[in-house]
Amino acid sequence: MQNFEHAVRAYSADLYRYAWWLCRDRHLAEDLVQETFARAWKSWAELRDVSVAKAWLVTILRNELARSYSRSRPAVDIDNLEESELPALPSFEGDVEIAQMVRLLPETYRQPLLLQVLGGFSCSEIARMLATTEGAVMTRLTRARQALRKQYDVPAEKLKVAK
Amino acid sequence: MNCLDFHRAKLAEPTRLGPEAQSHAAQCAACAAFAHSVDETERDLERALATPVPDGLADRVLLRVHGRRPAWYRWALAASVAIVVAVGLARALYVPAPGDQYARKAIEHVAMEPESLSTVDPTNVEALGELIRASGGTLKAPLGTVRYVRLCPVENGTALHIVFETGQGLATVLIVPGRSLPQTQQQASTSDWNALARAAGHGYYAVVTPSGSRTAQVDRLIRERIDWNA
Repeated sequence: MQNFEHAVRAYSADLYRYAWWLCRDRHLAEDLVQETFARAWKSWAELRDVSVAKAWLVTILRNELARSYSRSRPAVDIDNLEESELPALPSFEGDVEIAQMVRLLPETYRQPLLLQVLGGFSCSEIARMLATTEGAVMTRLTRARQALRKQYDVPAEKLKVAK
Repeated sequence: MNCLDFHRAKLAEPTRLGPEAQSHAAQCAACAAFAHSVDETERDLERALATPVPDGLADRVLLRVHGRRPAWYRWALAASVAIVVAVGLARALYVPAPGDQYARKAIEHVAMEPESLSTVDPTNVEALGELIRASGGTLKAPLGTVRYVRLCPVENGTALHIVFETGQGLATVLIVPGRSLPQTQQQASTSDWNALARAAGHGYYAVVTPSGSRTAQVDRLIRERIDWNA
């Protein structure tokens, strides 16, 4: 019980940001966080290792998001695509803010990037969460950062961070 | 480690460089400069991703989950709960555990993992056979088109979560080795799902479908095509 409250206070902000970047809707993001913890509470007593709680919560949140999307979008199994099947990265030439660039990243690159930067997870932890290999995660993260770094080819005054 | 390996490692996990990569950066000025520039991008990225969090989010989560109220309310509630618990405890001690708990857990598991029903990730018969063998069974004949297989954490162990196509739609089977059922079988239903859990080998399996008749069909199929006595 006390552990659960600590988890809510420790992880709700990170989960909200992760959800927001996936759906970019603050109402849906908060609903997802609320539903995630509501579901987690039902099974909290079965959680033997509190140290994996954050990864578990992220998994629940992803499932909740998939459930909400499944009502309105066709199912796309992004986690199991082969690298060769991944969509091409968009061009980031020009004055594009870094937040905008993250929005433009294909979901298959954005997901692991968000999990690493916002969640602080390692490549192997992300691989488990996305049910893929550590090598695939490393490739996606490398490509995502390569795309973001192209911004650094433009003059420094254009390197703005979205407010 | 060469410079290309270092670039890959730094771009994949900027804050968790291994000792070999750190040693390379200490000896290579170009890679040290590259690492510095990646760190700068990373700081910008962290700032860009730090979208504002609504005030009171954690409190609203706790309020929803626990129905949390002011302290006096909680004390009053706790007192009344204690009385109810004290009165009910003696009775509860003599009430057997619900006879459908494992079937219900299977339904909850499916409900908690909805992507299992939307994901299409075909698995070949040999790979599935290996996983079923590791769970204590022997696959004698194919189950059909298997589109989702995962090892999922469950209470005190791991379950093999399989979703496959039947003539009437999708069926889910959870194989949970090392966890015995108190009865030969259990059944449970909700408004959306029907489940049957059956003792098998050194554990049990549970079938989850939208209806009792389909659950029974899939259960027959499982008994025909998986041998639990090997």
